[in-house]
Amino acid sequence: MFGYYVDLAFHSLRRNKVLTALMVLAIAVGIGASMTTLTVVHLLSGDPLPGRSQSIFYPQVDANPKNKDSSEPLDMLDYRSAVDLWTARRADRQALVVQSTVRLNSADAGKPAVMMPMLSATTDFFSMFNVPFRYGGPWSEQDDAARARVAVITDDLNQKLFAGENSVGRALRLRNSDVRIVGVLKPWRPSPQFYAVRGGRFAAGDTSDFYAKPEDVITPFFTGLDVNDGNFQQFTCWSMPPRPGHLQDSPCVWVALWVQLNDASRVASYRRFVADYAAQQQAMGRFTHAGNTRMRSLMEWLDFNGVLPSNVRLQAWLAVAFLAICLVNMVGLLLAKFLRRSGEIGLRRALGASRAAVFAQYMVESALIGFIGGVCGWLLTLAGLWFIRQQPVAYADMARLDVSMFLLTFLAAVGASLLAGALPAVRACRVMPAWQLKSL
Amino acid sequence: MSLGIMFKILRRHALMPALVLFQTALACAILCNVLFLVWQRVQPMVAPSGVAEDELVLIDQMASHVRPWTAAEVRAGELALSHVPGVRSASAALGLPMIGTTIVDYTLQSPHGAKVGVNGYFGVGLVHTLGVDLVAGRDFLPEEYRDFGVSEHSSSLPATSTAEPLIITQSLARQLFGNQPAVGKIVDVPDEPDGHGYMVVGVVRHLMRNQLTLATDGRADDTVLTAKRIGDTSMLSFAVRIDPAMREVALRGIRATIKSQFGDQLVQDFPVKISTYAERRHDALASARAALWLFAGVTLAVIVVTAIGIMGLTGFWVQRRTRHIGIQRALGARRSQVLRYFMLENLLVAGGGVVIGMALAYVANGMLMHYYELPHLPWNYLPIGGALVLLLGQLAVLGPAMRAAEVPPVVATRAV
Repeated sequence: MFGYYVDLAFHSLRRNKVLTALMVLAIAVGIGASMTTLTVVHLLSGDPLPGRSQSIFYPQVDANPKNKDSSEPLDMLDYRSAVDLWTARRADRQALVVQSTVRLNSADAGKPAVMMPMLSATTDFFSMFNVPFRYGGPWSEQDDAARARVAVITDDLNQKLFAGENSVGRALRLRNSDVRIVGVLKPWRPSPQFYAVRGGRFAAGDTSDFYAKPEDVITPFFTGLDVNDGNFQQFTCWSMPPRPGHLQDSPCVWVALWVQLNDASRVASYRRFVADYAAQQQAMGRFTHAGNTRMRSLMEWLDFNGVLPSNVRLQAWLAVAFLAICLVNMVGLLLAKFLRRSGEIGLRRALGASRAAVFAQYMVESALIGFIGGVCGWLLTLAGLWFIRQQPVAYADMARLDVSMFLLTFLAAVGASLLAGALPAVRACRVMPAWQLKSL
Repeated sequence: MSLGIMFKILRRHALMPALVLFQTALACAILCNVLFLVWQRVQPMVAPSGVAEDELVLIDQMASHVRPWTAAEVRAGELALSHVPGVRSASAALGLPMIGTTIVDYTLQSPHGAKVGVNGYFGVGLVHTLGVDLVAGRDFLPEEYRDFGVSEHSSSLPATSTAEPLIITQSLARQLFGNQPAVGKIVDVPDEPDGHGYMVVGVVRHLMRNQLTLATDGRADDTVLTAKRIGDTSMLSFAVRIDPAMREVALRGIRATIKSQFGDQLVQDFPVKISTYAERRHDALASARAALWLFAGVTLAVIVVTAIGIMGLTGFWVQRRTRHIGIQRALGARRSQVLRYFMLENLLVAGGGVVIGMALAYVANGMLMHYYELPHLPWNYLPIGGALVLLLGQLAVLGPAMRAAEVPPVVATRAV
């Protein structure tokens, strides 16, 4: 019977090609627009560290003398607090993180140097954030302490500089220092670049820069401070830094500390430790207040910063509202299409087809329209994502359809058209056979 | 035919009109909100900048790698730039139009308590260099300028005994003082409690602020000039006014001068940005333009889909009533009356949809505002969106209604 209905449906769709095309177009455009935007939302709002994120925390203390206990502490740490907390080693893993822009000199004398973002972190960064290595591995804790001239590079940079070969042991020239490559990462693209998220509440929703690629060069934290001295940017300062770019002893916040705490008791004791540290600093006179320390988990921190750009959310809302219009539109067109065939329905009913059979026939027809609309909608989604990849936004390169969203496209298209077809099909199966036959 | 009968017919076959109603309501709700969003993006694009756009070259991102620039170096640079062939004047500045990376913001308070958040531009001779049009009062006098820099931070300045001079825009003058002349009036800055306030010495016609996201709803001109000379600073920028006929020569000269004056100390890794006002404007509005294209696409899609829906539904509605129309025609209804009947019927149904849609738009905006920090939808967008949807409905129904008007009276006699 199902085969026969599909056959009937094809027949009916061919009968009025314009109307069919309009319906397919409506569902395709609606699905294309909503799947494009929902794919972006899906890509941007996931958990960057599945399975691990609940044990990652971002401690904050407040060295700003202009703040009070009632204020929100600044988004990053001053150098001294960060290094003190890190040196105490009270967490299961802990990493200092700072970013800067560095000049990478080419090995060939002919090529010009390029400016690129550099990440400087302590070695726990790799194990804590599950960073995958292709060659070599992270540097040791001794390297951190000894300010060793070593670096880890990304797969991208390895492709660019060394054509993808194992470059462990080779040298890079960062500004005026040579560093030895100890590790090469596998492709790694966290979404968002969670370890660098901050200041979201000041961004007025324009947070697409949180989705930038990880930095191509990663050096040990203190090595980075030496190599790129003078090129560090503060998050903010409460008075003017004496030497711009060199912030170790400045009234500025510019360092992030991430810690991993594996169970609830560790979390509680670290929270206490941070509060005690602030109280101790207040007693020493370095802090003016100690009551507003924070320790948010990774997801809480992302949430606090409102990482999902507001225009992405807005676009998703618009697209879903647009899909709703398309669906109402389709309900109307299907109703018109089905009820035009009242005579045919009357004949089928008179020949013994049950209401359920008529209903099924029209639902099959709706589903067929939905499926064709889904195929077109999938193509439109691909086009939409291509369009987003051309946009000058940090997450552009991630805008691709994954398997789950691909399946959802068809599910949504068929589901939407079944929903839209239900009312017209109910009306169609209520057609009075006798009345229709009389008027034939 | 009277409206009463029309309602009766609509009620008897409620499903079709209900679908049209629902569709117009949704379209109206979306279009009202999208129109509003479009207008939010368009405002900064159409607001008058107030500056001599063709003659302006902006220089910024001058970072020193050893120590902040000294006031003397800034002065020397200013002087050297103003002697470049093709350059009319040059000013070291803090805060420049169309450059959102360095922003000075103030809250001004008028004697009546009206508060306005404004952007400020600092620098000697900016009225001339930017080419703003002074409509009342005067420019700052040379002796009025006070140094502003790292070591002479405004908060650590000894409090002045008199109010500092201030130049505001016409729009600000209206917001702060209403219709009274602004020159000579005092405004307070509540964030500077120990200051003596500012005295308005001049009013310019227009000067656009550099926080473009705030340049909406009549706030584009909320900008002030204060009499501050750039002292020692770690981030330096210049405004340069050139002779547009000598643009190439002037630009080359400016590049050479920046290199010779500041070259040794510039952070080589970050190139200084030297570009014309037009280029800066283009960059600054890039994201607003991209958003506009998106909204234009959404609007077009909504309009097309709604029009198709109304045409399809009304077409079927007309076809179903072919016999009724035939009877009406046979009983003496004229073609124009049939046409009018269907147009009016659509107006009624779409009108109902628009009323619901406007309410829906308001609710949707309230929700968006609550969750996504969107500005409030002013009520006057509702009738605009509504009128647009009504017009759309009328255009969409024109085809089916004309087909209805073509129904010959003879249909009434067939196969009843």
